[in-house]
Amino acid sequence: MDRLPKLIVSAALVLAASAGSFLYARGARKPFSSEAPGYRTLGPADARITIVEFSDFECPACRVAEPPMRSILKLYEGKVRLVFKHFPLERMHRHARAGAIAAECAGRQGKFWEFHHELYDHQEEWTGDEEAKLLSAYAKRVKLDEKAWQACRVDPSANEAVNADTKDGLNAWVGSTPTFFINGKRFAGALQLSERGTLWIDKELKK
Amino acid sequence: MKIPPAAGLAARVLVGAVLVYAGATKAAGPSEEFAIIIGSYDILPREMVMTAAAFLPWVELVLGWALIFGLRLKETAAASGALFGAFLVALGMVKLKGIQLPNCGCFGDAIHFTPLQALAFDSVLLGLCWLAWKSAPAALSLDSWTEGGYTDPAHGQR
Repeated sequence: MDRLPKLIVSAALVLAASAGSFLYARGARKPFSSEAPGYRTLGPADARITIVEFSDFECPACRVAEPPMRSILKLYEGKVRLVFKHFPLERMHRHARAGAIAAECAGRQGKFWEFHHELYDHQEEWTGDEEAKLLSAYAKRVKLDEKAWQACRVDPSANEAVNADTKDGLNAWVGSTPTFFINGKRFAGALQLSERGTLWIDKELKK
Repeated sequence: MKIPPAAGLAARVLVGAVLVYAGATKAAGPSEEFAIIIGSYDILPREMVMTAAAFLPWVELVLGWALIFGLRLKETAAASGALFGAFLVALGMVKLKGIQLPNCGCFGDAIHFTPLQALAFDSVLLGLCWLAWKSAPAALSLDSWTEGGYTDPAHGQR
């Protein structure tokens, strides 16, 4: 065989090995649900834009993403539906699961978003030593039925709801929080959301 | 200085395997995640970060396999060395600027190195790239097949 065909075969071998190792590392695509109970969604069910947010209440970057997200919801009111999914990063944040369960239980009383705002607005307070006391204080502030809320927090179903969302996040290759999927397109972190999120929404709305 | 063929082969397979692992783990994951880490180095213009995050893992993958198979070994070893040199400069600039990186981003989410560990690791790999470069042309390589045989540089004989 001449030199050129051999070079072409060699280059093809290198490219094939590269593609093969990529496919092996990616593994099989796992399905994930972008749905959540109604109390963890905002906006009309038939909105043209669906934003799925995987978030952790103890994550400072998630708190930073709150203002741009609130601006987007205000700017595209009626056109956007937000779906909140729990993704507590327990390796780094030891209060994250407690926060997620507390919010989940507030949601079951129809007060998810009020509790969500309390957790982000006071993130530096409740993620310290007074977690239990402060979570109860927020529950009182948003006027939850505290007895039912406390019972829900120890009910395995609340924990299972957080686990189900976390599994969805892992299946969707969520590696950091916050991660947003706007009509399926991924935006990792507040910066990507602020810089490119609205451009993408405008593009989707023009379709 | 003559490099024993076995040392050259070991060096290029080792560096190649590291590049393949690093490239595959990052290429398989979402480029948006890798873009966050590239952005935190604060070196590239913001509009280039997403492109770099999508492109760099594939450069690592292709260079890694080219090293393992010994395709255009001299050029591939030089390009890999340049890549590790660039990583070292980036890590040095991060240190100088006092940027706190939680993770160097070398292997995506698979293995977390601190910037200092990454500096040491990349320096060793840069040295191995030099060994691989010095060992070219190599017997067990696609170069040897495409050129019709192995020429021992010391003797000029096939």
